[in-house]
Amino acid sequence: MLKFVIRRLLSTFPMVLLVVTLTWGLIRLAPGNFYTGERVIAPAIEKNLRAKYGFDKPWYVQYAKLMSNIVRGDFGTSLKYEGQSVNEILRRTLPVSMTIGLLAYILALSIGIAAGTLAAVRQNSRVDYASMTLAMLGISLPNFVLGPLLVLLFSLVMYWFPPARWDGFPSRSVVLPVITLSAIYTAYVARLTRSGMLEVLRADYIRTARAKGLDEKTIVRRHAMRGGLLPVISFSGPALAFLVTGTVVVERIFALPGMGNYFINANLNRDEPLIIGIVAFTSIAILLFNLLVDIAYAFVDPRIRY
Amino acid sequence: MRPIILVFCVLALTSCAASSADSGFFGTTDPPAGQVLRYISGSEPESIDPAIPSGQPEARVIMSMFEGLTEYDPRTMGPIPAIAESWENNADFTEFTFHLRKNARFSNGDPITASDVVYSLRRGLNPETAARNAYLAYYILYAQGYNEAGVFARDTSTGEFVMDGKFRKVFSEKEARALKGKEPVPIKAEDIGVAAIDDTTVKLSLVQSAPFMVALLPHQFFRVVPRKAIEKYGNDHWTRAENIVTSGAFMVKERVPYDKLVVVRNPMYWDAANVKLDEIRFYPLEEETTMMNLYKAGAVDATYNHTVPNAWLDFMMDKKDYMGAREMVNEYYQINTLKRPMNDPRVRKAFNLAIDKESLAKYQHVKPLTAFVPQGIFPGYPAHSEDLFDVARANDLLEEAGYKDRSKFPVNEVELTYNTSERNRQIAEFVQAQWKQNLGITIPLKNMEFKTFLTTRASLDYKGFARSGWIGDFVDPVSYLNIFYTPRGDNGTGWWDSRFVAVIDEANRTLDHQARLNKLFEAEKMLLESQAVIPLIQQSTNWLKKPYVKGMYPNSGTMHAWKFVYIEHDPSKWDYGVPEM
Repeated sequence: MLKFVIRRLLSTFPMVLLVVTLTWGLIRLAPGNFYTGERVIAPAIEKNLRAKYGFDKPWYVQYAKLMSNIVRGDFGTSLKYEGQSVNEILRRTLPVSMTIGLLAYILALSIGIAAGTLAAVRQNSRVDYASMTLAMLGISLPNFVLGPLLVLLFSLVMYWFPPARWDGFPSRSVVLPVITLSAIYTAYVARLTRSGMLEVLRADYIRTARAKGLDEKTIVRRHAMRGGLLPVISFSGPALAFLVTGTVVVERIFALPGMGNYFINANLNRDEPLIIGIVAFTSIAILLFNLLVDIAYAFVDPRIRY
Repeated sequence: MRPIILVFCVLALTSCAASSADSGFFGTTDPPAGQVLRYISGSEPESIDPAIPSGQPEARVIMSMFEGLTEYDPRTMGPIPAIAESWENNADFTEFTFHLRKNARFSNGDPITASDVVYSLRRGLNPETAARNAYLAYYILYAQGYNEAGVFARDTSTGEFVMDGKFRKVFSEKEARALKGKEPVPIKAEDIGVAAIDDTTVKLSLVQSAPFMVALLPHQFFRVVPRKAIEKYGNDHWTRAENIVTSGAFMVKERVPYDKLVVVRNPMYWDAANVKLDEIRFYPLEEETTMMNLYKAGAVDATYNHTVPNAWLDFMMDKKDYMGAREMVNEYYQINTLKRPMNDPRVRKAFNLAIDKESLAKYQHVKPLTAFVPQGIFPGYPAHSEDLFDVARANDLLEEAGYKDRSKFPVNEVELTYNTSERNRQIAEFVQAQWKQNLGITIPLKNMEFKTFLTTRASLDYKGFARSGWIGDFVDPVSYLNIFYTPRGDNGTGWWDSRFVAVIDEANRTLDHQARLNKLFEAEKMLLESQAVIPLIQQSTNWLKKPYVKGMYPNSGTMHAWKFVYIEHDPSKWDYGVPEM
């Protein structure tokens, strides 16, 4: 187990560097530049700008410098936001994105698993139909529709929650973004739980447990859930990575100072260091969460050993 | 399903309720306690260093913290006294002398003297600052040469400089070295035509006549910055909330990028007694519907320009807090005049005459543009009314150009290129339909991501037409005509005429204001005659402000001198509609 974890952690490093290299190349391929603006700038000013940010050097020098900086954990300074280092931007925006993402994750897992299990245990009952209808709605209603609907109802009609902006955690401003963000994940988790549980509840070992006279509660909690939740676990790793790093749409709808805005604008602005910083961070997060999922497998499913 | 039905019932009910209990305003109108303004300022400022950013969102924020020699009038946007209390110019507008206030101070209490003004300008023009707005100061003597790292050429034997008229000629270093018997002398900051005569007198010497110079000075590029703080913390770090020193009516209290920038009253400001607001909270926001939600719920008091979504205009334009007025922004299609078939002026004219701009303007809730310079903004500037919608003449012109048989028209050589946006697409489709209907030619549309588009357009890599628009840098028609003053840069059409340049130069040397405007109008007519551009529409300002916010006006550039803005708690003094300008 320990060997497995160490091996995976070691492979993360070259993977991230590879992703960074690809990103760097792609940015170079995109037309336009960080200083391209509505107004054409004089060649002399362009020259000054390029010199200021080291773009006047040959590409291999720039690449080597980038790599050596990244290895030391320094992603450089944003080209667009004067004087703000990428590390500083990540440090400031991550807590916001993470708070929203984690809360949405917890909400999605708790409601999703509860609803899915209930639906599976009482298959074809009203509870089953109701929760699966809601889940279908959650999957098909995109968050850029759900968000404004919630705002309309709870902020502009009932005045319960602020319509946008961030007041820190905990505060009322957290509620609507978290619900909006978690809706689709809750729905997925509920459906995955239900199908996983249905399969397991028909398995031989459950029949054995029933035959031994165990009560239904113990069967579901101790025996069925372990196997029934495996699909949820494999889904939840990447889901957490995306929830924490990719709350772009929700951040824009609710004007939250998270990473999402920077990610969009960094690309539009061709803000190379910032793009690379965010991409590197996101890939690290995805690789790590996938590792966590693999570890979790070993704990939940007795059949899996590393 | 029940909860869903309930939601829709509530939605339906509220929409009815909103229309029956209509106050004429959009959302709540309860003023906040005290003198605090919450303003949506648009995209996150790239920087709050006056020399660096070139966008309007930054300009508005910077206006609260930094002051220049002159400031924008809140109604007309013309120049009003700021750090300079008075000024005078010489007979041909090539020298301006400014008299500074004796009580002007930075937020740390240091006096603002003539040398601070000189320093700010030299710093902005320093090649190392790499300011994108530096071109605005090129009217000042040797400013361009210094900014572009140019040199003078000095005769090694006589020690005399190579002259160009009454000024020294500016070369690039390479050019200067190629001259025989001459040595290059780098242009230094001290050579620029800005001088501190004494502590309170600044003199600007220009390279050409520029009657509009004073009107240009409120631009953020010319605002006064604190030398000590910049030298102590460096270009990249002096604007941090803990380091920044400001010269304007407000100073920074807190800055959280993409969240807020809070400025508070600067007690050291020379006119602090007349500053009414205690605090302004600038919220950087980009999503239009989110802005509308915040505004409706009363979480903000005003928004920046072009914030009401296009699809809402029918509904919003009737609101009493909708600020719609003529804007100093034109929208046009520029033509690549170097490539066939658009190199034929008759073809260009035909395409212009075949667009019904009245209808286009009505469709977009704005005014049609029949000339290049926006109308109704520059008092005394003649109105151009020859640009008519004339399908018959358009077809005649096409026939004259040899395209009687429309199938001979090289449609593959022409495109209408625009940067991706809902609005640009609407306009392009409208124009495309007009051409198809009136000329029988279908021009393909092509949209591009913004930066890709800008690169294509500037390098004349487009075929046929490209979308364009221009926001004036200062309140003068020449700000628009200057686009075509050089064949390079923003021109992007391939059309350039030395006679056009001569007329503009002549206009700027003209002392009589009206005569000057007439001369500029002559230049504009030359531009329109060339049909290197197809003017389409003139923008209208489009923003919201609660009735209790006073001192804010929908001026032509939506620039608000914040010191005049305040919260009025007495409803009888509120603005019920667009305030009197």
